[in-house]
Amino acid sequence: MIDFRLLIFMPMLVGFVLFILPESLKIIKGMITLIISAITLYYSFLVFSSDNGISVMPCSIYPPAGNFFALNIDGLSKLIVLFVGFFGFMYALYSLSYVTKEKRLISYYSYFLITLGASFGAALSDNMILFVFFWGLLGLTLYKLIKGYDEASSSAAKKTLVLIGASDSILILGIGLLFKLSGSYHMSEINLTTTSAWANGAFICLLIASFTKAGALPFHTWVPDYVEKAPASTSALLPASLDKLLGIYFLARIIINLFTLTSWATLMLLIVGGITIIAAVMMALVQHNFKKLLGYHAVSQVGYMITGLALGTPLGIAAGLFHMINNAIYKGGLFLTAGSVDKRTGKNDLSELGGLSKLMPITFFAALVFALSISGIPPFNGFYSKWMIYRGIIDFGSGSGIANQLWIVWLVLAVFGSALTLASFIKLISGIYLGRRNPEFEKVKEVSILMWLPQAILALACIVSGIFAATWVIPKLFNFGPLSSGLGDPGMWQSQPVSILILVSLVVGFLIFWMGNMKKHRRSDSFIGGEKLQDELNFSPLEFYKTIGSFKFLAFFYDKAKKKWFDIYHIGKGIILGLNSVFSICHTGILSSYIMWVVAGVAILLIILI
Amino acid sequence: MNSLIPLFIVVPLGSAFIMAILGRFIKDFGKYLINLGLLFLVGLTVKLILNSQETLIYKVGGFANAGDIPIAIYMVVDGFTKILLLIISVVGFLVALYSISYTKQYTAERKFYILYSLMLAGMYGVVVSGDIFNIYVFLEIASIASYALVAFGIQKQQLEASFKYQILGGVASMLILMGIGFIYWSTGTLNLADIATQLTADTIIMKFIAVLMIVGFGLKAAIFPFHAWLPDAHSSAPSPISAMLSGVLIKAIGIYVIFRIFFNMFALSYEISMVITVLGTLSMIIGGLLAIGQWDMKRLLAYSSISQMGYVFLGVGIGMLVLAQKGNPAVAAFSILGGLFHLLNHAMFKGLLFLGAGAVEYRTETRDMKQLGGLSEVMPVTAGTSMAASLAISGIPPFNGFFSKLIIIIAAVQAGYVTLALLAVVVSIITIGYFMKMQKYTFFNNDGSFWKNKKIKEVPFTMAFAMILMAALCLGMSLLAIPTIRDIVLTPAVDALMETVQYSKTVIGI
Repeated sequence: MIDFRLLIFMPMLVGFVLFILPESLKIIKGMITLIISAITLYYSFLVFSSDNGISVMPCSIYPPAGNFFALNIDGLSKLIVLFVGFFGFMYALYSLSYVTKEKRLISYYSYFLITLGASFGAALSDNMILFVFFWGLLGLTLYKLIKGYDEASSSAAKKTLVLIGASDSILILGIGLLFKLSGSYHMSEINLTTTSAWANGAFICLLIASFTKAGALPFHTWVPDYVEKAPASTSALLPASLDKLLGIYFLARIIINLFTLTSWATLMLLIVGGITIIAAVMMALVQHNFKKLLGYHAVSQVGYMITGLALGTPLGIAAGLFHMINNAIYKGGLFLTAGSVDKRTGKNDLSELGGLSKLMPITFFAALVFALSISGIPPFNGFYSKWMIYRGIIDFGSGSGIANQLWIVWLVLAVFGSALTLASFIKLISGIYLGRRNPEFEKVKEVSILMWLPQAILALACIVSGIFAATWVIPKLFNFGPLSSGLGDPGMWQSQPVSILILVSLVVGFLIFWMGNMKKHRRSDSFIGGEKLQDELNFSPLEFYKTIGSFKFLAFFYDKAKKKWFDIYHIGKGIILGLNSVFSICHTGILSSYIMWVVAGVAILLIILI
Repeated sequence: MNSLIPLFIVVPLGSAFIMAILGRFIKDFGKYLINLGLLFLVGLTVKLILNSQETLIYKVGGFANAGDIPIAIYMVVDGFTKILLLIISVVGFLVALYSISYTKQYTAERKFYILYSLMLAGMYGVVVSGDIFNIYVFLEIASIASYALVAFGIQKQQLEASFKYQILGGVASMLILMGIGFIYWSTGTLNLADIATQLTADTIIMKFIAVLMIVGFGLKAAIFPFHAWLPDAHSSAPSPISAMLSGVLIKAIGIYVIFRIFFNMFALSYEISMVITVLGTLSMIIGGLLAIGQWDMKRLLAYSSISQMGYVFLGVGIGMLVLAQKGNPAVAAFSILGGLFHLLNHAMFKGLLFLGAGAVEYRTETRDMKQLGGLSEVMPVTAGTSMAASLAISGIPPFNGFFSKLIIIIAAVQAGYVTLALLAVVVSIITIGYFMKMQKYTFFNNDGSFWKNKKIKEVPFTMAFAMILMAALCLGMSLLAIPTIRDIVLTPAVDALMETVQYSKTVIGI
């Protein structure tokens, strides 16, 4: 029997202890964090291989409280726990070198460990009150892991906590409604149908919580702002990995356990998923700050997961969850590579970077693998999960509901989104690593082993889980609940033979290239008619993307997006401040009018009561 | 144990007189005397809470009842009183500790502590009195001391605020006194427990008294629409006093009395419960909406107090509604628990927030958030504790505010008031918004280079220590949500309100 207290509370306790150590001992704090995350990784393996069931954490001080600490160990939570452990270890490794010299990050490792413990807690809790406690704690650590040192970063931190905190409050309301309807706080005991008005209300409340955490439209707006200003290891840890895992985990719980979806709920989810894919990727296309670009992709990919899960079929759910894991791997990896570039060059803007591929080869290859994975290029993992989603949508089309009838729409949105993702990643890769090198970067070196090793491992994970997806990864990870009955045939895609073919074709291609270059030949500059070559003639690939923004139809939306018309935070703020000014007018500071209010209050109360 | 009750009044009242005389000859006599006195009272309160579950009664003068008519002046300490005693003692002590360094800027330091002791004596008196006229007398002691304390800085703004506060406080006192007159006229007694046995008929005069009481004590508790004095008074007072006013005074002399008389003196009625819940909800919404536009730190906190008191009224009011409709008592108890837990929590985090604002003002001499920023670099203790309090009041785990918010929302849904629960959620979002605004503009937003030139440093030790203790309490009070600990502190308080008629039976001894 595994002691889950070790998994959940040990990292948190160590995190609290680390508050006491002074900041000058950052290295020691980092080492402790690495050791703790290694232990939790080991434990998460143990949990993954343990039996399913509801487990109650023993509470020696107050035995009846044990019922409160009810944990649900099933295939879904085990999956999440395994990957939380994995990512925790990877990012602890990366942080060791990345964070050490960042003076602005105070108590980074404390919050890192608390985040880790709270994520395990949220993934395992069966009791919803316990769940919302851990869930809210993650919002707090998210806020504390970004440091407000200037206007923009303080605003990003504030916006993040307001949106996350708001979703937590709404989640509490949803839990209250669930309890009212079902009489239980335990997720494993609840199963409702979204037919009555209250059930729908509860469903929407829980969805808002899940969407905000994962970053789906329209509650996603904290993600791009946050990742732009946060340190890369934080962005990789929370918005890219753990928040995605937990947000989508909760969505899966809602869809698989808590509710039986009616057709309107499915339709709504698919619409949200589709719009998230397209709108976020369109925003990503026009970004110049590469962290912000990644942030919009972090939103866009959530659309795929929601689409997959919304289908409700075993294939769809498996596809959504597989995509969630793949996304966490490559998106986390992309943030790590972004952090490495930022660390070495100090630049965040694509237009200022370029030509780093030879200087930072490992980072470049890792970033390339991640970029190809996220764009859905075979044989990487991103392709396989997207392929599963496409197949899921096609299968789903044979049903009779209104959402089923519209299957072609979802399919087109998903495929189109994938193409746009590829387009924006060509921009990222060419902008940072290819093209003409800025002379000031001549002295840039590859990052230290502590930083490139996690990138390389994640890149390897992308390749392995892509090639062996059908034969090994999916049967191993997704054999629980509705998925245990089998996912149907894996489609026409045989990843291993195709991978071999791809490899062979690459080798042959390289051979031909090499043979063709056997003979020495003359190299000279291109003939440009005697005109003088100027620096401005450097046709950056970024120029091409500017044309997207100038389409009339799109320009309208980009313009409005720049004015934050689609930012729910901004809209809410406007409404609240409007109401504020209405009430402020009444508070004139004139005493006689205040006394009139009292008199009016007495009069009204007398009229009502007598 | 019973004979210890008068100490709650004797210690602060006595020390006020002693320090008025001896303080002339011994420097800093007052500030250490009140600190020691309050430390003693903290110990006494904890002892009362831990040692006895039953209601403690002390009869001043020791007169026996004549028949079933109580002649003696009663002092009653039941579960509900105990949590108020806890608030007054703990926050009072920490504020006194903070004041040791803070009041050095004033020339009349001695008078500050005399007035502070008198205010404490008044608050203790209100919560232990079992007699409505004594409640009035002590309420006036506390109020008049607080009028003087609000004006303590004698600047234009403070005098104006104090003037408004006095006028509206005077209106409140008048209404309360009128209500007491009507009560005495119709029942012939002033003892709360005895009144409860006499008042049974639901007559017009009873309703009239109820309105006078709601408005009178509502003014003291600053619920909408009787809140107008609060933002001025609480923001102009010296910061430790603001912490005391917002954290304790409005609860001890406003909310406590409202709940005491409407649960234990009047028979529960649906209309009154509805009025209390609606006024609470309106306070919650309007206070929150007003707070978010403020740029004066302490004014923002003052408006926030109105909003948070709305939460307390909402929680307890829903409990009243359920009880009045003979609904499920477990739901009512849960809702009242949420309200009282929030009352306790609010005293702690709002006290701390005002102390933090005071620390900022102490060093920077401004509380205009547009001029502040980046203070987390130079005042880490103030920034950290203020952050803890802001997170607590916004309801972010693991701080105490999260649990009371959770209980209030879930209880409101369970009682069937989903709209009210939704409003509570919306206001809690607004609350997060304005506290994050305060944090951003005060402690972050720039790199603090502006302040570094002015040599801003952390506040003196006693101020910092008091704030750290309060922040630790904000975290530690989360434990009150755990059933075993809840049964010691909160459940007796809830029971005291739930068992409405039990109060008079226990006190008179029928």
